[in-house]
Order: sequence, then C-alpha cells, then structure tokens
Amino acid sequence: MRAIALIVRVISGLNALVGNIFSWLSLAIVLVCFTVVVQRYVFATSYVWMQDLYIWLNGAMFTAVAGFALLRNDHVRVDIFYRPASIRRKAVIDIIGVIFFLLPFCWVVFAYGWPFVARSWRIQEASANVGGMPGLFILKTFILAFAGLIALQGIAMVLRSILVLNGKEELLPEKLRYERQDTAPAEVSV
Amino acid sequence: MDPVFVGELLSGLMFFGIIGFLLLGFPVAFTLAGVSLMFGFVGMWFGVFDPSNFGSLANRYIGFMTNEVLVAVPLFIFMGVILERSKIAEQLLLTMGKLFGNLRGGLGMSVIVVGALLAASTGVVGATVVTMGLISLPAMLRANYDPRLASGVICASGTLGQIIPPSTVLIFMGDMLSGINSQVQMAKGNFAPTPVSVGDLFAGALLPGILLVGLYLAWSVAKAIFDPESCPATPVPPDEKKELLGEIAVALVPPLLLIMTVLGSILGGIATPTEAASVGAVGAMVLAALRWRLSFRVLREAAISTASITCMVFIILFGASVFSIVFRLMGGDSLVHEFLTNLPGGTLMAVAVVMLIMFLLGFILDTFEIIFIVIPITAPILLALDVDPVWLGVLVGVNLQTSFLTPPFGFALFYLRGVAPSSVSTAMIYRGVIPFVVLQLIAIAIMFAFPQIATWLPRAIYN
Amino acid sequence: QGNQTWRMVTTWPKNFPGLGVGAQRLADRITAASGGRLTIQVYAAGELVPPLQSLDAVIDGSAEMSHGAAYYWQNKSIALSFFTGVPYGMTSREMAAWVRYMGGQELWDEIYDQFGVQGFLSGDTGTQAGGWFRNELTGLSDVQGIRFRTPGLGGRVWEKLGATVTNMAAGEIFQALQSGTLDAAEFVGPYNDLALGFYQVCKNYYFPSFIEPGLATELVVDKAKYQELPTDLQAIIRDCSQAEYDQVASDFYANDPRALKTLVDEHGVIVRTFPDDILQAGADAAVEILTELRDSDDALTKKTTESFLDALSVLRTRSESTDGAYMQAREKFFKI
Ligand code: NA
Ligand code: NA
Repeated sequence: MRAIALIVRVISGLNALVGNIFSWLSLAIVLVCFTVVVQRYVFATSYVWMQDLYIWLNGAMFTAVAGFALLRNDHVRVDIFYRPASIRRKAVIDIIGVIFFLLPFCWVVFAYGWPFVARSWRIQEASANVGGMPGLFILKTFILAFAGLIALQGIAMVLRSILVLNGKEELLPEKLRYERQDTAPAEVSV
Repeated sequence: MDPVFVGELLSGLMFFGIIGFLLLGFPVAFTLAGVSLMFGFVGMWFGVFDPSNFGSLANRYIGFMTNEVLVAVPLFIFMGVILERSKIAEQLLLTMGKLFGNLRGGLGMSVIVVGALLAASTGVVGATVVTMGLISLPAMLRANYDPRLASGVICASGTLGQIIPPSTVLIFMGDMLSGINSQVQMAKGNFAPTPVSVGDLFAGALLPGILLVGLYLAWSVAKAIFDPESCPATPVPPDEKKELLGEIAVALVPPLLLIMTVLGSILGGIATPTEAASVGAVGAMVLAALRWRLSFRVLREAAISTASITCMVFIILFGASVFSIVFRLMGGDSLVHEFLTNLPGGTLMAVAVVMLIMFLLGFILDTFEIIFIVIPITAPILLALDVDPVWLGVLVGVNLQTSFLTPPFGFALFYLRGVAPSSVSTAMIYRGVIPFVVLQLIAIAIMFAFPQIATWLPRAIYN
Repeated sequence: QGNQTWRMVTTWPKNFPGLGVGAQRLADRITAASGGRLTIQVYAAGELVPPLQSLDAVIDGSAEMSHGAAYYWQNKSIALSFFTGVPYGMTSREMAAWVRYMGGQELWDEIYDQFGVQGFLSGDTGTQAGGWFRNELTGLSDVQGIRFRTPGLGGRVWEKLGATVTNMAAGEIFQALQSGTLDAAEFVGPYNDLALGFYQVCKNYYFPSFIEPGLATELVVDKAKYQELPTDLQAIIRDCSQAEYDQVASDFYANDPRALKTLVDEHGVIVRTFPDDILQAGADAAVEILTELRDSDDALTKKTTESFLDALSVLRTRSESTDGAYMQAREKFFKI
C-alpha cells in the first residue's frame, strides 16, 4: 500500500510540475499576440512565425496541462449523483471511468497518433505557412504527451481508489485525497 | 440485418448511452470519448464502423491546436481572470452598490448592471455567480432584501456572461457555424453566401443581451414599486457620499474604458476578436498594476486558472470529436436529418425541438459539451432549412442560460448554493429565480417574434 | 474481391465552385465507371479531418484518397509546390505536358513514395486572378506594408515586394478583410472569389496572378491499396482523374468570365492590371526563389526544380511563339 501511495505521489508530482510550468504559456500567448497586434497596427509589419507562435502556444498549453487539470479535478463532471456520493462510491466510479473510458481513449489517441507524429519528426515538419514556425513536429508531439499524461494521472486515480477501498487513503498527503475537492464550488464553467 | 439500420440504431443508442454513463459522474470529456469508442468497436463487430477512422483523431486535434479563431478563448479567459483576481470586479460591485443603494431597489439594480459589465469583460460564468454571491448577497441581506429576490438577481445577472460579448461560447459557436454555414450554402447552390464570423455572433448577441438586462431592470423597478418591502433603500452616510465620486472615478471608469475599447474595436470592425482579446488581457494587467495588485501570485493564479479552464474546454472538444467521428460514420447524421426534416410544423418546430433538447441537456451538461455535441449534428440541417446562423447561435446562448437558471438542476443555482449563507434556503433560491426564468422565456419569445433583434446589428455594422 | 467503398477527404468545402464540385464529380465518375465495385464517398473539408490534414489522413489510413493541392504540403517537401504551380511558372497546358511527357510524374512519384501515396493531376483552375485590394495600386511603392493573404511560394514573392503576408483558410479570409486584419487577399479567380464575398470589402480586382499561373489540383491515393486493386480499377482511377483534369479547367474557363461580369455589373468591382513595376519585381523575386530551390541541399528538390525549369524553357518557346502570338493577334485585329 505504501508503494501504491508513493506511485500516486510521483505521478501527481509530475503532472503538478508540468502543469505549473506550462500554465505560464497563457501569459506568453497574451504577450506574443499583443506584440503581433502592436506590430500590425502601429508599425505595419508582421512575421508569419509570430502569428503561428501564439496559436501553437495555446495548443501546447492545453494539451500539456490536461493531466494537471485531471489532478486538480478541473475537468467538468455531471455531478448530480457524483457530488453527494460517498468517497468509496466515488472511488469505484473513478476506477470504472479510468479503465473503461479514459485509458481506452488514451490508447486510441496514442496508437493512432504515433505514426502521424513519427512521420512529422522524420521530415522535420514545419508550419504549413511559408515563413512560419519551424518545429511543427514538436507541437504534434504534444498530442502524445497529452495522452501519456492523462493516462498516467488516470492510473494514479485508480491507485488512489484502491487505497480508498482498502481504507488506506490517509497514506496520501491531504491535497491528494478526495475530501478536499468538495469543499469549494467548482470555479469553472464558462 | 441491414447495415444502414444497424449503424443508425447504434448511433441512436450511443447518444442515450452517453447520457446514461455521464450520470456516473466521471469527467465528461473522457466519458464522451470512452463510450463513443465502445460503440465504435461494437459497430466494427457488426461491420458498420471502420476503426481506421480513428486515424483522423490526431489530424483533428492538431487542427484545434493550430486554430486561429479559437485562440481568442484563453485570451478572454485571461482577461476575465485578471480582473477578478485583482479584485477589480469586487471593487466595481461595492462602488456601484453605494452609488445606487440609497434608491429603493437600487442595490439589486446595481448588481444587475455590474453583472452586465462583468459579462462584457469575461466569459467565465461560474466565477461571476460566485463572486457576486460572496460580495453582493451578504450586502443585499444586510439591507433587508428579500433573499428570494437577491438570489434571483444574482443568478440571472451572473450568467449573462455567455450572451453578452465577449463570450467563449460564442467564439466556439462562431467557429463552428461559419464552417457549417458556408458548406450548407454551397450545398444549396448559393455560391455567394454572406459569411458568418465570431464578430457577427458577438454583434448579434449584443442587443439580446441588453434586452435581458432591460427586462431584469424592469422587473426590479416593478418590485420596488409594487413590493417595496422586498428591496428597501440603504441610505449612504453623508461623509461617505463625498468620497463616492473619487471611488467611482477609480473603480468604475478604468474598467469601463477597457470594456468599451475591447468590445468597440470588435463591433466597430477594427480588430478581430483574437486581437481585441490580447489588448484586453494586457489592459487588464495594466489596470491591476496601476492598483499595485499585479503581484507574482496574482499572475501565477491567473496563468493556472486560464490554462486549466482552457484545457477543460478544449479537452471536451477532443472527447466530442471521438463522438462525432463515430456518430457520423455510423449513420447518426442521417438519422437526425430524417427526424428533424419530417417534423410536423416545419422549420420553426425543428428549431423548437432542438432548443428543447438543448434546454433539457442543460440540466446535466455544461454549455460546451452541449454545443460540441448538438451543433455539428443539427446546425447543418437547420441552416439548410433557412434558419439564420447568427440568430440560431444567439438563441442557443439565451436558451442555455435559461436552462442554467431553471430549478431544480440549473448550474447557477448550485454555484450560488455553494456560497450562500445557510439562512438562505435552497427553496428560497429556487423560488427567487422563477421570475427571471419567465423573463428569459419572454426574451426567447421576442427573439422568435422579432429575429431582427439578433440579425440587424451584424448586418448594420459589417455591410 | 467484392465491392468496396473508399473515403475521399478533400481540402474544399462541399460544392465549392470548380474545386469541391470537381472532387465530387471525380468520385461519382469512379463509382459509375467501376459499376459500383469501387464506391467513393466524399468528405468535404472539416467533415472527417480539417482541410489541411487531408494528406495526413491518407497516409495514416483514415481515408483512401485526398483531393486537394500539392502545395498545401510544402512543409512535407518543398518540391511538391511544383505540382500545383510556382510563381511565374507553367500554365495548365504546360503543366500537363511536363507531368505527362517530360519527367514530372516520375519525380512526383519519387516524392510521394516516401509517404506511401501516389498523386494524379485531377483538375486545374487556369491562370488565376491576382487578388483583391482595398486600395488601388499605382506602383510598387503601394505594396509596402499592405497585409495580404496569399499562401505558399507566391506569399514569399509578395513578401519580397514588401507586403506583410499571412495565410489563412478560405473561410477565414472574409472575416479578416472585414475586420481590417487584411488589406488584400487572393484566392482563386472570379468563379470562386464571388462565393467568398470579398467584393463586399475590396473593389479593386487585379489580374493576372503572376504567382499562380495555374493551380493544378491533385488526387492522392494510398499507394498500397491502389496497387492491390485489379488493373481495370487502377485504370479507372487514373483515367477518371485525367478526364477531371480537363473538366475542371473547362468549368473555370466557362464560369470565370460569367462571374466576373456579375462582379463588375452587380457589385461595382473595378478590374485592373498590375502595374509593370510590380510585375517586374515579382519576376525578379520568383527568379530568386526558384534559384534558391535549384541550389537546395535536398537532392529531390534540386532535381525537381531543374526538371521543371528545363521543361519550362522548352515549353515557353511554343507558348510564346505560337499561343502568345496568336492571342496578341486575336486581341488586336479580330473584331466580331
Ligand atoms: Na461575456
Ligand atoms: Na490563389
């Protein structure tokens, strides 16, 4: 059980790290896009690569932080029955969801996406826009990273559920347990 | 068995299967994807679905990741989050409350006006209901407002965000409808269709948004006249009155200028929504900095909120892509087409049925899930029946807002419940919001009777 | 082997004049000619994959065919530009001659072999229109700083002329013109451009497109699946593409002038010709770019450029001395 708790902590730590780093891309999107606007309207110049850049940063950001968002329980749930459910019940739902929905999805994205990304690396694919960004293959790789990071976090969810069902949730630090997540109303919903 | 029949049957079952599985409470994006995959594999077993179609997933995903229109989403979210985290929104609420508090019903009206202003600066609905619930509800209760009226005002004006531009919902809808519209028009042989853009939807939503605000205010006035007990005045002490002018200059004017710059440049046809959004985001940071509130902590929180909200929305789009691949390729499209085009009552009935379905889905699903699932399936059919795309997009927005207000399942009610003191019972919230649901229905009726309210402005601006 | 259905993804909207229609007609032709043994199901831009992901969809096996333009994939191999058209390059007749008789197809096959697909010419727009400009161009200096939507190598030419070049999908151009993000845009020619509504914003319509003297469309097929087909079905795909190459060009030739009349008579569009200094500077820029490609480190790019330029220098002797001379004579003397 301690080993399981350790794995949960390692995976969650990884996604927290990735999430904390890649969240800053949102500020970068703002700054790059603003620069493009200023160049365009004030100096009547623009660079195709910069127009690619802020768009790509968004793609990189939202795929990279997906596992982190899962860790933070930010992905919306239909919570009519889920919110009032007991923690054991939530644990069971998460096991079912990860095994039957999340992991197959990750597998499909990964398996069908792999040749797509590998080819892009082989030809060192750049932006389709002439004068655009190099390194489209890196952006495409984020599709695989997305699948990998949420699969890992999914596995962490299953392991946490196992701890819960064995009455060993206290092996996890407070912030990785279930209780914490129900105190505040979900902030999102746009 | 006839494979066409099997495919249509499976796609129909899948739709209801997904709703069933969603009730489990596992995150929507992954439930959508996972259940669709299962049905895809069942379809493969029956020979009505080719799994090589999943090869197009990565293609679609990179399409979303390099979509120029949709990058406006994180930009507007960032702007809204900065205004909220740096307490600019809160200050706006408090100042407006003081400004109108000495009028009977004035406090409630100030909440409505601020709700509209916040809606015009952000698309983040939940946060607005929560912010107003935390700040304005106690203030209104202290002023002896009827808790029912207070709850109704907060829920309704806190959900204006998805109608009043800028709105992330309208960005996604604009992106989808512009593609669907040009396809439908060309399929009909109209090779010179008037294009639909996010800017059109923003312009189209403005008057209906103002109409809603007007209806809420009219209701507040009526309450003040006919039920004065429910919304008494709170006189401002004279010494505070003097300071008020300065407070207004600080709290109200700068955000108002920012909002007008951003919206004005979009509606004036000067900038694209994406460009205007980046200016708005930088402007919000400047406003925060001028108040010494742009700390590293605020920036970090804004970055994390923006990233995770953006992620949440786009990942639903990822999940919905799996759904639409399986649904479309198993023949679900033609099933919906047969259903909608054979309804008695023609086009209006088809629109009404789609709206009713979306309204009901609104009880369990959030705006994004609903539009990502329903719009790609139904909009091509409705637009082919000559429904105006801008009108349709705005109507969907108002309809879903209504759904989120409707007891017992409306989201806004849950958000308010989460922050309301226990002295305000759930029943009070439910009863308080009912007049506003009626006002929403009146607005929808007006939109059906006078579609120009949504279609006139975009044409006037852009042609 | 029984009946089979193939998926054709396209980079065009459904029923898009000339191009989208051409894709659908090619699919129907193959279905009919094969007596239903090979049914082609068409998916318009965005229905299965986003338009600019069509080639990847075929390579990845989520579609068997793609209908589009080879230069969309210049980031996979810059040499693919030549099979759509390059600035100051070949007209549609010249292109067909190079591809069929002067080594073009073999080079194209060599490029696409890397991706396990095969390309066929499947249509051509003919010489395109030069673009829609908000303001009149009196000379090269008016090009400085204008924000112009034009893709590919043509975009690089305009960049060298001083324009600020962006590329965006057909559906987004109008919005960008409307909002002032763009000052000018080019797409195809009157037949298509009428559909996109550019005339509502820009009234100056410039001819000719020296950067797109022709736009050849391609049919790309999954090579392994193609080779598994019985030879008669292979021939049907090949020959139907060839028939469509001709049909699409005829469609544009017939409908461009009609659409242009509508634009001028009903929408007040002013037809203009680029000033000579712009045409000259464009040619200089094209020479620079093509020279760069000929000196490329990539063997296949070098080889393709050389083949293309060699063929062009042969073909232009006929085009200029015969077709060109005739055109001039007809324009000058023949009044009826
Ligand atoms: Na809004
Ligand atoms: Na062109």
